[in-house]
Amino acid sequence: MDCREAIKLMDGYLDCELDPITSQTIEQHLRECGRCDQAYKTHGSLIRAIGNATPYFKAPAELRERIQSSLREETTEHPVRNGVPGAQVVFHKRQPEPRSILSEIPWNWLGLAAAIILAAIIAFNVVPRAQRPEADQFLATQLIASHARSLMANHLTDVASSDQHTVKPWLDAKLDFAPAVVDLSEKGFPLIGGRLDYLDNRPVAALIYQRRQHFLNLFVWPLGPGRAGSTKAMTRQGYQLLHWVDSDLNYWAVSDINEKELQQFKQLFEEQISHH
Amino acid sequence: MVLPLKAEHASQTEDFESTAKIVKFAVVPKKHEEPDQSPKEELMSFEAAMLPHLDAAHNLARWLLRNEQDAQDVVQEAYLRAFRSFSGFHGTNGRAWLLTIVRNTSYTLLKKNRAVDFTTPFDEEIHATGHESVSPATILEHSEDAELIREAMDELPAEFREILALRHQEGLSYKEIADIAQIPLGTVMSRLARARDKLKEYLAARMSK
Repeated sequence: MDCREAIKLMDGYLDCELDPITSQTIEQHLRECGRCDQAYKTHGSLIRAIGNATPYFKAPAELRERIQSSLREETTEHPVRNGVPGAQVVFHKRQPEPRSILSEIPWNWLGLAAAIILAAIIAFNVVPRAQRPEADQFLATQLIASHARSLMANHLTDVASSDQHTVKPWLDAKLDFAPAVVDLSEKGFPLIGGRLDYLDNRPVAALIYQRRQHFLNLFVWPLGPGRAGSTKAMTRQGYQLLHWVDSDLNYWAVSDINEKELQQFKQLFEEQISHH
Repeated sequence: MVLPLKAEHASQTEDFESTAKIVKFAVVPKKHEEPDQSPKEELMSFEAAMLPHLDAAHNLARWLLRNEQDAQDVVQEAYLRAFRSFSGFHGTNGRAWLLTIVRNTSYTLLKKNRAVDFTTPFDEEIHATGHESVSPATILEHSEDAELIREAMDELPAEFREILALRHQEGLSYKEIADIAQIPLGTVMSRLARARDKLKEYLAARMSK
């Protein structure tokens, strides 16, 4: 760790909000670097002093009374308080996209056009892609970190549900693309929930599946320009990664289950999607 | 652990940074289905759960709005809103849930008054400093001056006032702050660091006056 990084993480360290490994790395750096250690101590004592002296605005007694009486009024005005309309979830109104316009286009022409475009995309992208293996390495590191963090920080899911019809609208509402969400409980990979994550410089969807006692993060985001897709598997730091591309989405599955099971997962996932 | 997710367990809040609706879910074990409460019982359980957080609610609103009257109005409004969606709240962190509503209600008012300043003044150039002469020791010496700190805090943009109050005064975790301020967990640390640096800078500026 260098000084720049240490300074960047200092507030997290001060607040005891870093994971144990990063905390140890910082401690190590502070032992070795007098300047950073001094900066840490000064910053820490200042922050504590300021925090302690910041005035705390307690609620005046009359506010409590005002609130209580307005709540009583509210209760007498609307005696029945169940099925509150305000608590309805918006996404029930979401309908599948209309298909009528698409179905009228002659598909054979579209197919030809798609083939030409696809050929052009491959021609333009495969070559530059092959020249930067380090981008993949970097992404793999990010993916593993994200997977490991999701298991560590009590933040596996933002929306915990085995119901794909709950997870999907939740993700759709927060992202600029609509990932396919399928439950694979019957096939031995129950869906645990969904989460938002940030990878490859953009917000991505993370779907969490379980395999026995293991968790699997499936990261999904749109295939950016200049990113050609191919299926690839790799092993890093004891984690299995499997990448594939489907229509215009990037999939990265990360888990500590073995490669065979991960391949099996991919196959089941793709089968299930095509049924939808 | 597979839990059912239901619409009635969702609370809905407004998001200021976009027009999208934010829907939060509380995880509830299936057996937790309760028989309907009478309005009176519900009011009592609401008050028992939420009134203990009145100081926290008021403090956050006061820092966000910088005005006692507005703070009280917003807190009252927030309690009403919370009560209306209380039947959908089954989570365990009542304080964070209430503070989210207080925060949202505060921003609604700030926005109405065009006083949302979360992007305006923290332009580094505007506040380019010439206070390097003020040493940390000097700041430390004055750091018990509550009035000075209040003035410096009030100068900060809303998103900084909010994060400092939530962390320093309520002692909330980064995760709770991320939920309340509706920002990614990864943003909490960097925003907090920027807020603290700005506060130190403003304090130094006031001392050198």
